Amino acid sequence: MFTRIYAQIAGDYVNLAATIIGLLAIVAGAAYILSNPRLFLLGLKNLRRNLLRTTLTSAAIGVLAFVITMIWTIIYFIDLIQVERSKDFKIIVTYKWSVPSQIPMTHADYLNPSSPKFLPELVDANGKKLYGPNDFMTWSFYGGTTDPNKVAPDTLVFFFVMHPEQIIPMMDDLGDLDPKLVKAMQENPQACLLGADKLKSLNKRVGDRFKLTSVNYKGIDLEFEIVGALPDGRYNASAIMRMDYFNNAFDLYKRNNNREHTLAHKRLNLIWIRVGDRDMFDKIGGIVEESPQFAPFLVKVETASSLIGSFLEAYRMIIWAMKWVLVPGMLLIMSLVMANAISITVRERRSEMAVMKVLGYSPNQVFLLILGEAIFVGAIAGLLAAGATYAFFNLKWGGIPFRIGFFPVFRIPEAALMWGLAIGTITAFVGSALPAWTARSVKVSEVFSKVA
Amino acid sequence: MNTFRNPYLNWLAEHPVLAAFVLLGIAGLFLTILPILLYLTPIRKVPLRYNLRNLQNRWKTTLVTALAFTAVTGLLTFMLSFVKGMDRLIASSGDPGNVMVMSDGAVDEAFSNLPAFSVKLLPKDLQDEIVLASQEVYVVVMYMIPDPVPGGRTRRFVQLRGLDDMKVAAEIHGVKLGRGDWPSAGGVREVQGAETALEVVIGHGIARDLASDVGKATLAPGDTLVLGPRKWVIVGVMEEGSASFGSEIWTRDRHVQENFGRENSYCSYVIRTGGAAKAKLAVELIKNFKRERNLQAVTERDYYAKMTDTSKQFSVASYLVAFILAIGGVLGIMNTMYAAISQRSKDIGVLRLMGYRRWQILLSFQFESMIIAILGGSIGCIGAYLLFDSTTVTSIISSGPGGGGKTVVLQLTFDLGVLGAGIVYCLLMGAIGGFIPAFSAMRLRPLESLK
Repeated sequence: MFTRIYAQIAGDYVNLAATIIGLLAIVAGAAYILSNPRLFLLGLKNLRRNLLRTTLTSAAIGVLAFVITMIWTIIYFIDLIQVERSKDFKIIVTYKWSVPSQIPMTHADYLNPSSPKFLPELVDANGKKLYGPNDFMTWSFYGGTTDPNKVAPDTLVFFFVMHPEQIIPMMDDLGDLDPKLVKAMQENPQACLLGADKLKSLNKRVGDRFKLTSVNYKGIDLEFEIVGALPDGRYNASAIMRMDYFNNAFDLYKRNNNREHTLAHKRLNLIWIRVGDRDMFDKIGGIVEESPQFAPFLVKVETASSLIGSFLEAYRMIIWAMKWVLVPGMLLIMSLVMANAISITVRERRSEMAVMKVLGYSPNQVFLLILGEAIFVGAIAGLLAAGATYAFFNLKWGGIPFRIGFFPVFRIPEAALMWGLAIGTITAFVGSALPAWTARSVKVSEVFSKVA
Repeated sequence: MNTFRNPYLNWLAEHPVLAAFVLLGIAGLFLTILPILLYLTPIRKVPLRYNLRNLQNRWKTTLVTALAFTAVTGLLTFMLSFVKGMDRLIASSGDPGNVMVMSDGAVDEAFSNLPAFSVKLLPKDLQDEIVLASQEVYVVVMYMIPDPVPGGRTRRFVQLRGLDDMKVAAEIHGVKLGRGDWPSAGGVREVQGAETALEVVIGHGIARDLASDVGKATLAPGDTLVLGPRKWVIVGVMEEGSASFGSEIWTRDRHVQENFGRENSYCSYVIRTGGAAKAKLAVELIKNFKRERNLQAVTERDYYAKMTDTSKQFSVASYLVAFILAIGGVLGIMNTMYAAISQRSKDIGVLRLMGYRRWQILLSFQFESMIIAILGGSIGCIGAYLLFDSTTVTSIISSGPGGGGKTVVLQLTFDLGVLGAGIVYCLLMGAIGGFIPAFSAMRLRPLESLK
């Protein structure tokens, strides 16, 4: 878990900034308490004195931080998947000119190192293939519903169709999958692996069987046996089935209907190849894209992040609006709520500020007192709200159930706790700086003359 | 199971969470409408001037609270304008008299595969219903951005529709040309010397979108693009209001088939019938018609009506975010009103001694919070309208997982419904947020508050 948190913080500049701000707030808070314990206690007493206002303000900050955490999770995830990886560099081969990529199954033979049809151009001068069998994988997509009368997210299953032996070496984050599950997949043609959320939505357990009516290959209705669950995480809503079972279904369709399925020759969607680095990507990419073997279904070679980026193009402006209109707007509202509460507080306590100054408190201490009260409320409310968002969505649905493209849920990262802390701190600072400065500038003579 | 005789009560029993929200909404509406109605009636009440002067005296607090309402309502109307724009686009797409025919099993035209077609192959009774027919091949293709910014994106996906007779297809789909002409019979034109390019008509939305890549306001006849392996020249631009087709590029069917791996195949046949009733009849006749390949038919209206999945999702998300924002707004105004009441407890005592009743005090303070809300909310609505009305955005309409989806260029729409929803929303926030503090003001005893 700590490795994951470290990766989240180190791999994203917003997470890094939020962590720095959060840590600074904690350090500054600790320094403030240690250097001015009386001032801190006075601040706490002040917050408790008007408990209603403190509660209302922190609740307002909390609900807004809740929404920001939700929205930023989606933005964060979409940004993350479009970042190029330096390690485990994989390339994707798809149809060159249009989407969805639907290519003949025979295309896989030219790129499969185990196939006798493997392109000779992909073999170097020493007779060594540019990549091995464990660096190659094919994907088809098969989707179906358990209830043809109710095609809804809880009845739908979308399978990654692949050869079981390709799962561990090639699938992202499945390197540690129990080899027994792969063996179980290999032994049973109808075997499938389902993610935890899919198991839950279908109300099935490992060992159960179910039948799907296809939604993308009409007439190819298949029966499955669940032989295992995919590890908790990014595959919670996913499913994996066998390629040969899928292929056989098309043969069966042809035999039963005396004609081929309309999509029989377009049922391969993607080919994955792992390459060492960018240079090897350019080399293999050049060979594959230039090869006449793929005509008339010419193919293009690109990185995974590039392909995902293209698919998300239609959502670009929506994501832009979420990032640059919704989130700043909400931060503004948070600051205004805080500014309102603190300015009311300062106005009500002008005489108190004057008395404090008479008692020897410096203007800076008065400023810090007000700022400290605001930041304390903001930071705690932000942190708790982010924690509540994390717990509520991740535990209930495995993430935020907001479907964008092929992403059904967005799991809230652990680093989100720092977002809450940071936005609570910053908005409290921005909202209270001016009222706190007003408190600092209270003139004792003016206040007392008015009182008199 | 029906517990109650009344179906509404059964619905409430079956949906307790929704029912709670509905009841909350009704309570909010009641709290909003009642003060307005009471202020309009000629009964004795605390003068409105008193509230306005107080707001003026505490102008900083009023301003900050109103600004929060401005931001909250601005964000809500912005989100609703997007949903409205999408709904309007879907509603305007598809003619009630049109029937779309796709291959059996295809969940969208992008996945459909049909051979060339002739109306004469259909049974006589079906032929009688057909006024016009078009064979269409639809693909999403790669557009290479000319001279892309280093590190920026290098390509886009664009929707290309190949048609056997473009003028007939335009009549079927209600598409008109804004500028330029329809492609020539050959569909090929010479550009820059001896080089040839395939002729296309471009949708007004996508013309603006692609133009942004080359620093223009919109693409115009004569401009060229590279789609897939070929160069294409724009000969016409569709008129505004061409529904989802405004996000497409149209060309001759054979150009698409030859260049994008769709040899001799089409995605859909679109048939124009005499009207909605005849379209439904044609759908039934086509379903019963068996050839070497089964066909599936759907009215064009139904086809687009199913593409509301994204719109519904954004609609739900917008209302959810708006609801949570409203909680923030309500809590914010509660702060303001509690502070106002604590500052003016003496005023309340005086008002009570002057003979104003408790409910009149409640009404006065609640009305004050609604004034702040409407002040900020109106500015939010107007601000969002001025900033974003008619802004063109690229989005997607889809029929959900496994279904089809289309990239569309739509306009954010701030109609009376959206602006009205914004005003009602801020009034509700003001009324709900002001009620509890006003209630506490109402309960103050006159003599105690004067101490």
